[in-house]
Amino acid sequence: MSALTAFDGTQVSAIAEEVFAALIDGEPGHLYLTAPTSPSDLVDPLYAWVDMHADVSGRVLLSVDTGTAHELARALLRMGAEEPVEDEDLVDAFGEVANVVGGNLKALLPVQGTLTLPRVSATPPSDEGTTLVDRIPLAWRGRSFDISIWQL
Amino acid sequence: MLRVVVADDSRVMRQIVVRTLRQAGYDWDITEAADGAEAFAIARAEQPDLVLSDWNMPNMTGIELLRALRAAGDDVPFGFVTSEGSDEMREQADVAGALFLVAKPFTAESFREVIEPVLA
Repeated sequence: MSALTAFDGTQVSAIAEEVFAALIDGEPGHLYLTAPTSPSDLVDPLYAWVDMHADVSGRVLLSVDTGTAHELARALLRMGAEEPVEDEDLVDAFGEVANVVGGNLKALLPVQGTLTLPRVSATPPSDEGTTLVDRIPLAWRGRSFDISIWQL
Repeated sequence: MLRVVVADDSRVMRQIVVRTLRQAGYDWDITEAADGAEAFAIARAEQPDLVLSDWNMPNMTGIELLRALRAAGDDVPFGFVTSEGSDEMREQADVAGALFLVAKPFTAESFREVIEPVLA
């Protein structure tokens, strides 16, 4: 059994909910488990991920619509609803959400190791040679927010 | 007014740290650094009262920054603000001379809990 299977969906969801409550929303309840969807349902997807390398290697991948990433950046930066988000801030903010969720998950591993810097792209990372460990379908303010855990 | 260096490669996270420090009641003179190397240069040149640093950064990580400061004979009070708050990393931070490690996500209260003893 891979150490990554230690991440059950409830645990991943709880960590993500804590991250959103503290850093993004200022209160709990805006991120929650929802019915499974497919990331391929995203119209204009944006992906953010971090890899962890220890005795096993894994990836935490966030998949959202780009519009959702814009809303996330506005919420993190306490911007107004109509304020435009610069590309640099969009990448920075979404990557940092992946970094904080991934860092908290990595802390649960029995053997630590390294965490990569976050990467953000409109194209998902290659899944060649990887295995999907779990997919946690979440919704943030009614928008799809998918977290998947991959073994590398 | 205390002079504090906040080091994080994420500009967004630096903003959140500064905002949360103000929410916690710390109206400090804050200088931002985008990585450990920049923080090292600022800390050596300006002798701040406190350094708050991310762990995982390009060029020079937070733990490398702390070790470089101590190797240079600089005993500036130092705390980590990082997404990786494992026991192993807390021990590494402690051994290297950090006063505390605040795990992301944090709140104003998280900062007050670790900073008040430093200010006392």
